[in-house]
Amino acid sequence: MPEIAELEQRLTELGERVSWPPTPDLTDGIMARLKAPMVIRRPWFQSRWAMAAAVVLLALAALLTYTPTREAIADWLNLHVIISRVSELPTPTTQPSGGLGTRLGLGYPTTLADAQAKVPWHIVVPSQLGPPDEVYIQLPPEGPPQGEVTLVYKSRSGIKTSGQTGVAVLITEASGTVDDRYFGKMIGPGSTLEEVTVKGRRGYWISGAPHTFFFTDADGQFRNETMRLASNVLIFQDGGTLIRIEGDLTKDQVLGIANSLS
Amino acid sequence: MHPMEGRPTDGELVERAQRGDLAAYEEIVRRYQEVAFRTAYMITRSGPDAEDAVQEGFVKAYQALATFRTGAEPRPWLLRIVGNEARNRVRSAGRRLRFEMRLAEGFRPGDAAPSPEAAAIASEDRRRLLALVNGLSEEDRLVIASRYFLELSGEETAATLGIPEGTVKSRLSRALQRLRAQVEEGARA
Repeated sequence: MPEIAELEQRLTELGERVSWPPTPDLTDGIMARLKAPMVIRRPWFQSRWAMAAAVVLLALAALLTYTPTREAIADWLNLHVIISRVSELPTPTTQPSGGLGTRLGLGYPTTLADAQAKVPWHIVVPSQLGPPDEVYIQLPPEGPPQGEVTLVYKSRSGIKTSGQTGVAVLITEASGTVDDRYFGKMIGPGSTLEEVTVKGRRGYWISGAPHTFFFTDADGQFRNETMRLASNVLIFQDGGTLIRIEGDLTKDQVLGIANSLS
Repeated sequence: MHPMEGRPTDGELVERAQRGDLAAYEEIVRRYQEVAFRTAYMITRSGPDAEDAVQEGFVKAYQALATFRTGAEPRPWLLRIVGNEARNRVRSAGRRLRFEMRLAEGFRPGDAAPSPEAAAIASEDRRRLLALVNGLSEEDRLVIASRYFLELSGEETAATLGIPEGTVKSRLSRALQRLRAQVEEGARA
């Protein structure tokens, strides 16, 4: 039987003779796009950008505020970060009509029991907020491999409701993990990012106008997802579930909600 | 990357690009577009999809460049972004085309001129080995093509395929064992 080392040698020699299609010169096309006004492509949630001027206004406001250096962010995240600080945000189109699920791209309305029957992981609910007002589920191919469930809280005392969406808090749960080496976000200018502890685990608290974050889904695939509300967000991993809580919340408020999840 | 006289290192180019020097980023694109294109082609098995993935990947990488960690190697980072774009295209197209590598015709430069018989035997050996590689499962084939045909490092293979480096090692080791068994079987037949 040939030795593995010999086989590796043969494969390397074979590799030198493998035929590839000629590489087209893509430089001009890439550079032309970089010189043009920036448009961020949204593989899943194109329609969510329709989410209106609030995003842009928040980002513009955030532009004027303190911006942490990337070194500071790298320190928080223990390096290997993909964070993109965009200098312009895409111009939103008019807000699409339809129910909340359509407008925010949450999927279709369901109940907690029905959602639980469709996903393999345990859906957690914050005792502090009580049962959600609405529940949505997004299944593949639109959603990640094992689906995604969103709990909607329309109004809760002490929490400001988003004027655009009429939503106070959104809790989104999906099967996946934060890749610590590559946890990253595409954040608007002025957003701040802080590492926090949630139920004994590491989480990330982003205030400002965050947009996209990267995570590893249930199939081990690296993918990016867009935030629904142009507001603060907490992202953390609870077992094999990736949870994010979005809303106009203070850090203490969001940590209180997160710690009450069960 | 070894600095050559008069040629900026990748690190220098990245730093200049981070400061907004588009010409420096253009040079990065030139240096990496071939390995990026072949990587994307290996995943998508389609020239147009590979082109698209590379373009999108390089644009996204530029947008994220502002916070790229100084001193890190840009190659695995770029390949991760391009690999992710390529996999997204395969997923959204729902295609499962077979990945058939072919051998280039003729001798590569620097080959010693073999006797016609020796050349024929070597060529037949290569053809057989490639057929065995082509016959492997998708997972095995991708990891073998990444390491030996594209000559990516373990870190770059992991980044490209979107899997942990430990998984690359174990998958590669199992793939080589399977391939070795098939080579042996072919030799006996």
